[in-house]
Amino acid sequence: MNETVATTETLTETSAAAEALAPDSGSLFDLLPDTGLVEHIFTVDTVITVAQVFLTIFIGMVLLGLVVGILKRASKKRFDVRTSGLIIKITQYLGISLIAINAFDVAKVDLSALLGAAGIAGIALGFAAQTSVSNFISGFFLISEKMFAPGDVLNVDGTVGVVQSVDALSIKLRTFDNQLVRIPNETLIKTNVFNITRFPARRLNMNILITYDSELEKAKVILLETAAKNRDILKNPEPLFFVKGFAENGVELLLGVWVASEDWVNANNSIHIDVKKRLNAEGIEFAFPTRTIYSRQVD
Amino acid sequence: MMNDQEQEAETLDILWKNWNLPVDEGARCHCFGNTSLYVSINTAGDGAVLAAMVRFPEVKPVVKKSNKTARKPSLPELPPIDDAAWTRAFVGKTQEYGLYPGYPPLPICVRLHESFSLPPGSDIMGWIFSHLEARILINGEDMASFALIPPYKTLYGTPDSGVVCRYDEAEFLASEEPATLFSHANPALVAHPVRIRNSSSGPVKVSDLCIYGEQLSIFGTGSRLQSERLLFTFSSSGVRMAIDSQGRVPRDATVLARPRVSGEERAFERSFELFKAMTRI
Repeated sequence: MNETVATTETLTETSAAAEALAPDSGSLFDLLPDTGLVEHIFTVDTVITVAQVFLTIFIGMVLLGLVVGILKRASKKRFDVRTSGLIIKITQYLGISLIAINAFDVAKVDLSALLGAAGIAGIALGFAAQTSVSNFISGFFLISEKMFAPGDVLNVDGTVGVVQSVDALSIKLRTFDNQLVRIPNETLIKTNVFNITRFPARRLNMNILITYDSELEKAKVILLETAAKNRDILKNPEPLFFVKGFAENGVELLLGVWVASEDWVNANNSIHIDVKKRLNAEGIEFAFPTRTIYSRQVD
Repeated sequence: MMNDQEQEAETLDILWKNWNLPVDEGARCHCFGNTSLYVSINTAGDGAVLAAMVRFPEVKPVVKKSNKTARKPSLPELPPIDDAAWTRAFVGKTQEYGLYPGYPPLPICVRLHESFSLPPGSDIMGWIFSHLEARILINGEDMASFALIPPYKTLYGTPDSGVVCRYDEAEFLASEEPATLFSHANPALVAHPVRIRNSSSGPVKVSDLCIYGEQLSIFGTGSRLQSERLLFTFSSSGVRMAIDSQGRVPRDATVLARPRVSGEERAFERSFELFKAMTRI
């Protein structure tokens, strides 16, 4: 009995103290109008929902991080830098979208209206971003074809340069006169693209026109000898000698020599110089447009 | 009287070693058969600049018999030391440079003088040779490497998947021919003991062998330089080069060059696809 009395007294004292302190407490809740709105928002359910949303985002981000980490390691070995980067970026975007949808779902936000609006906006955006989307999709085809990689030398519709970067919408070429050219992926799909350095060796074709007076057998021996002596020319595959035909001004010959792709410029210069020197030394004349004029005396 | 082997061993020791700088002696010539490697020094300021260049044998000019006054060809006139033909490096206060053998930077494609056919499931051992390069080292670091034959290139394989290699030619010698092998003692050549195995189901024609020098050492044995034993395996997926684990290096061998790519595992990894079209019948 005594204990109960004591407790009641204590409670009475506490309430009295609280009432005495109340006017001077300065609580933020006291500043809000007493409409019941705050109590309605900050309920236990709301707190639980917010916590669930945060937990969903947190777990989602952790999982996404793990997946991206694994993908990075796996794709590094199997794909080139560009493909691997693209796969990771797509995974990240998809993951973030999924996390966002989940978070909205947990928060009991009705997405149907939002999605409806997004649909309309999507159509509008689709029309507006038609070119970009086309380039983006073209990028996927380019990746799957594996036609080139950074560092390759491309000839795209007459523009020749080293692939500097391969991006989602375009590739960047650095031309040999040091200009940066942006080529949309869509253009690469539509036009003929020559990858000049894809293979370790290339054939350098020299078209040579010699006079009808020249001996073809001798010319053949000389040209093949010249190719064999040139250190920029590969021993294998062997050089090709081909008589293309009798042209208007002389006999048209083809000397095809194989050179390492990286030696192209040096080989091109040295073999042309060597051929010119050797043919001159051997007395074989290069043909040039000639016209024979017959003079006849008029009586 | 020294016997032949001792003399040859001495030759090897004389050639591949550290040399004093050729101060006050003009250009020093290291001869490798008909190829000459010239080393010269240019003292400037506090340090010195070492210059080196290689000269391959030139085609002798045709001298008419009737011309009795024709002189013997004089010693080659070297270009001035500031000419682009020289490779130069500042050596500072160092008093010596190293001359050691090395493999070319590219893989070496050795075309056999006589190709031969290898039946399925068979295994053959022998020797092939390739030309090495002369490396000049300053304070243990590579200054330059010089090919000792005119450095021609070739493509080992098909144009779409081949490997650009240094071109070389050699005879394939069966291991039972030590006399022939010995006769090949040449400071510009390195011998490769090889085992060629045909593990495919059909016969193969062996006409070219591709050697990745970066994976190999160079050992000095007597007068001869040699590498580890190479194993070429012809299979249905192509040809692979590896270091033969059964091969042994002679006990008295001196290591003159170590592999640039370390580890046998990497050597296996970097082994290449040879070409069915070139080797298959």
